[in-house]
Amino acid sequence: MNKDAQMRAAINQKLIETGERERLKELLRAKLIECGWKDQLKAHCKEVIKEKGLEHVTVDDLVAEITPKGRETGFAMLPRLVLSSRTQAILLPQPSRLLG
Amino acid sequence: MKMEEMSLSGLDNSKLEMFSPGAQAIAQEIYADLVEDSCLGFCFEVHRAVKCGYFFLDDTDPDSMKDFEIVDQPGLDIFGQVFNQWKSKECVCPNCSRSIAASRFAPHLEKCLGMGRNSSRIANRRIANSNNMNKSESDQEDNDDINDNDWSYGSEKKAKKRKSDKNPNSPRRSKSLKHKNGFSVCTSASNTLPLLFSSSGELSNSDPFKYNNSTGISYETLGPEELRSLLTTQCGVISEHTKKMCTRSLRCPQHTDEQRRTVRIYFLGPSAVLPEVESSLDNDSFDMTDSQALISRLQWDGSSDLSPSDSGSSKTSENQGWGLGTNSSESRKTKKKKSHLSLVGTASGLGSNKKKKPKPPAPPTPSIYDDIN
Repeated sequence: MNKDAQMRAAINQKLIETGERERLKELLRAKLIECGWKDQLKAHCKEVIKEKGLEHVTVDDLVAEITPKGRETGFAMLPRLVLSSRTQAILLPQPSRLLG
Repeated sequence: MKMEEMSLSGLDNSKLEMFSPGAQAIAQEIYADLVEDSCLGFCFEVHRAVKCGYFFLDDTDPDSMKDFEIVDQPGLDIFGQVFNQWKSKECVCPNCSRSIAASRFAPHLEKCLGMGRNSSRIANRRIANSNNMNKSESDQEDNDDINDNDWSYGSEKKAKKRKSDKNPNSPRRSKSLKHKNGFSVCTSASNTLPLLFSSSGELSNSDPFKYNNSTGISYETLGPEELRSLLTTQCGVISEHTKKMCTRSLRCPQHTDEQRRTVRIYFLGPSAVLPEVESSLDNDSFDMTDSQALISRLQWDGSSDLSPSDSGSSKTSENQGWGLGTNSSESRKTKKKKSHLSLVGTASGLGSNKKKKPKPPAPPTPSIYDDIN
């Protein structure tokens, strides 16, 4: 467990250092819009807002409602994502080093 | 960046298994983190939109939505308008008080009022036509005498009419007309001065006389009469390489007058002379009046009057290639008759022996010619 956490931390750090994480984030955002994930989420938002009333919506409410849904639908998109060679280069050696 | 990417769907997770399962799990977690970040970002955007009041802007109220719904009925377009509605409508022209179809109304109005581009063009053409008709009628008496040999009045009229159809200022007039009529119509003005090459008869086989100046002529195949007529119009200098005569104009820049003289002496005997020499060209073989000398001198004076711009460009070498033709057009300010006759004089006169010409010194020229050979 600890090792996993360590590994995650290490990898995260590596990603941030190289700037890869930002790039991945942008990429992901673009892909999600393309897939229509954002529109789905927006529709869901509208419903929530209509429920709650336009005046009284808070950020926390929104986050609490939307994030789980977003994550679920997001995972459905996973097969369509891409792994750049750079990302692979970062991910590949790590486990062997840390696990081996 | 795109070339580096490998689509996971293409990999079908097979390459994901290239990674150890631990790596896969980590990859998924990283991905989950990224997705959560995106969600959060999205929430912030929505919240701001709600608070600023522009979140619902892209929605319209249901009433307006109904108004602008897409129409799908037969006979109507998607906006609900009837097709061809304006075709059947008729308007009354304020100028001529006729009822015109709506789609034809604008062009009709243009012509009716006499404004607009097309109407001025048509009017100009009409004026030009009527002018030409007037001109041809008035010159009929003059033409009777001249036209005995060559041109019937009808064909000349045809030639004139053809020319009047074109833009009188266009530089291409001379070229196109020359092409059409062989080399019988002189151009570059509304005046038609038919060249009388057809009159001399020798020029009737037009094969050696292709208008483009790029080919040469092999002189062995030509008879003496043809040669003579050739040499009156063309440079005729025999090229070393191809053994062919130059078909460019009498003033072609590639050959000197000496060369031309040499060639003519070679072919036509020692008494032959260049057509360019300006002294009197009266000749004995034809029954011409003495005025011919004056006329031909006039004509060649006209040739020297050709503007300097003419001599410079290659185009004018073509113009001058039928040098007699353009010269006659230049001297059209003298009467038509004169230049007409002068053409006869020079064209045919060069074929014959001239007595009065000052002869170029014979001995040097053959030697020059030898050098060339």
